[in-house]
Amino acid sequence: MAFNYDKYLRLEKMPTLWCWGCGDGVILKAFVRAVEKMGLNQDDVCVVSGIGCSGRFSSYVDFNTVHTTHGRTVAFATGIKLMHPDKYVICVAGDGDALAIGGNHTIHGARRNIDITLIIINNFIYGLTNSQTSPTTPQGMWTVTQKAGNIDPTFDACALGIAAGASFVGRESMLDPKKLEKILIKAIEHRGFSYLDILSNCHINLGRKNKMVSAMENLSWIDSITMPKKKYDTLTEAEQLNIFPTGILKQDTEAREYCDMYKEIQNVQQKKRAVITQNDFAKKI
Amino acid sequence: MSQTREVISSGNHLAALAGADAGCRFMGGYPITPSSEVIEQMSDLLPARGGVTIQMEDEIAAVAAAIGAGMAGHRTMTATSGPGISLKAENLGLAQMTEVPLVVINVMRGGPSTGLPTRVSQGDVRQAKNPSHGDYRSITLCAGNLAECYTEVVRAFNLADRFMQPVFVLLDETIGHMHGKAIIPTEEAVQAGIVPRKSFDGAPEDYHPYECEPDQPAVLNKMFTGYRYHFTGLHHDKNGFPTEEIETCRKLIQRLEDKVMMHTDELELNEEFMLDDMTGAEGEVLIIAYGSVALSAKEAIRHLRAAGIKAGLFRPITLWPSPADSIKKYTDMIKNVLCVELNIRQYTEEVERVSSRLDIEGLYKVNGRPISPYEIVNKVKEVF
Amino acid sequence: MGTFKTENPGNAPVWVNTNNCKACDICVSVCPSGVLGMRYDSKSTLGAMISVDHPESCIGCNECELTCPDFAIYVADSKEYKAAGFSFAKLTDDAKARQASIVANHYMSLDVQGVQ
Repeated sequence: MAFNYDKYLRLEKMPTLWCWGCGDGVILKAFVRAVEKMGLNQDDVCVVSGIGCSGRFSSYVDFNTVHTTHGRTVAFATGIKLMHPDKYVICVAGDGDALAIGGNHTIHGARRNIDITLIIINNFIYGLTNSQTSPTTPQGMWTVTQKAGNIDPTFDACALGIAAGASFVGRESMLDPKKLEKILIKAIEHRGFSYLDILSNCHINLGRKNKMVSAMENLSWIDSITMPKKKYDTLTEAEQLNIFPTGILKQDTEAREYCDMYKEIQNVQQKKRAVITQNDFAKKI
Repeated sequence: MSQTREVISSGNHLAALAGADAGCRFMGGYPITPSSEVIEQMSDLLPARGGVTIQMEDEIAAVAAAIGAGMAGHRTMTATSGPGISLKAENLGLAQMTEVPLVVINVMRGGPSTGLPTRVSQGDVRQAKNPSHGDYRSITLCAGNLAECYTEVVRAFNLADRFMQPVFVLLDETIGHMHGKAIIPTEEAVQAGIVPRKSFDGAPEDYHPYECEPDQPAVLNKMFTGYRYHFTGLHHDKNGFPTEEIETCRKLIQRLEDKVMMHTDELELNEEFMLDDMTGAEGEVLIIAYGSVALSAKEAIRHLRAAGIKAGLFRPITLWPSPADSIKKYTDMIKNVLCVELNIRQYTEEVERVSSRLDIEGLYKVNGRPISPYEIVNKVKEVF
Repeated sequence: MGTFKTENPGNAPVWVNTNNCKACDICVSVCPSGVLGMRYDSKSTLGAMISVDHPESCIGCNECELTCPDFAIYVADSKEYKAAGFSFAKLTDDAKARQASIVANHYMSLDVQGVQ
């Protein structure tokens, strides 16, 4: 026997519709392994995805699954989670999904610190629609909407998540599935908004015009722009400019989770406690 | 025990109370004039009953969170005004496609665009028919007085679960902000009338949520109960998974149409005011109006009758699907027909369609002010 | 419909499911031990298919399985494999050299000649 993936996958939907060598499949596998290792009951998990290649993620895993509209993943998940605070709600979104059209929901989900795990599959491009610029496309790369070269400044997805208030922020790439599996377990276990920036390849739509025609060329580029946080911290500012640190970048176990906080609202309305005041919070402004 | 109670309240507050009484346990909202009182009220009512009201980051998120709660299996709602519906449109389409029940309260203000936020309009009637792209049938109810702000929202929740789709309740600014006495059913009476959505209780492997009779809605079990399936806005098969199979796609969209249009008898609700003595004689006047306008129309009819003009009101409470046969019956019988609306011909066009008549007179007002009874009286005297 | 082959077909250290393989070369690239290679296959979508050429060199590191996006390659569970009386190989210089040659041969098996 090898590791048994069958239990968590909808085998009749395989093979996936993703291109050969697509990192989405590697992330899917790491996710299945993480859930298996955590021993989660399939009925206690809801996977919510948006639109794009990553949107199909939810249809391949045998949980309660929702394929929503473009960018609205976290908003739908918020409704599900608030009604079921004891269940696991996991969002899967692409870089365009989570950071462009759905950027508002991403930052406000993080701000509320609701117990949702947001997996951003970041392949630096709009893949499904064929090579349009995304908020993470490096400047100077070719896209079909910027054939003269992309001039748009990019998001550092994790910096955004940290600033918005997510209590768990991490980054890994699909190059190291073992680390990916570990950070997925930690993110899902964390109570609060878990924000993962998972770097992935799209040699088809990012690579073909940017000198990374094969999966391997695209992967070695990702390798060249990532570095474990510990090592990254030893770099000078100039050296850090073109490197993404990987690993857990923030974990705040003290931050209060939104569903827990909402119980206090219910307690007030049910006359079980006095109204919530500024004294209930350490941070006053 | 009495089945009714007397309350002094406003239209928006009654709409909120109706939701809470009808078993709604989640509301996603975003502030917008003139509907904000609904979420303000719900933010007290729902947590007191163990539910959740959340003010989301935008209109889109508000409806998305509400649909999420609906997917999880709960009675859920959102409230907004025209600009909010425009923003919510895409996700309303998702709820139609995935067949998730949801109540959407739209307190109408002047449009298009930002329009006249604090003033009255019925400009969203046409929008309510087709807020999102693609083929589906909207169910739209329209409250015409304070009590109906309560009863129509209750009915909307039951219809949403019966037809498994979003149901609109249109209030207009006048009704929403009207404050006064209303006789409404007791909470016990409302709860006794609740018909929850259907569910399947056989073996999970025999469960196919979207495999149903061609005129029936999907049977969506609650999430986290052991029946795992898939929601998608793509065309989907019997278990909810994306497909492009020709027959499956055709049947799905045809069913979205037929599940409503083959059961319009369960949806139709009208008020017929002073129509029972109409005979089709020369000089009789039929006024067609809905929402707050109907209040003015009734007053106008009293004046007209006092002046010797035999007038009556037909008021559709379910606007979409339109009560085609009833409208046809009266427009066939009565020659002089006047539609009165706070928009330009939005429902008149439907009356023309179902009556096959192009001589329908209209009184339309789009400056944010209500129509007074005297304007209606004068219009009747002028055109007939 | 994809079929999975998590069952070991016959005490192999590593085995493949050619129904799922999309010939992306990733597993070949991550193998440290020159076990895998691609072969031309006119029936495959991309014209190539994975092949386990040197199972005797497999060190059981699992890299190929973990990085395969399509659930097409499997490595025996090390405990079960050892309990059944087998053992994975040790990484040798020969195997490393073979791996380097396979990479240089554009991930094609070394007996495939004339790779473009």
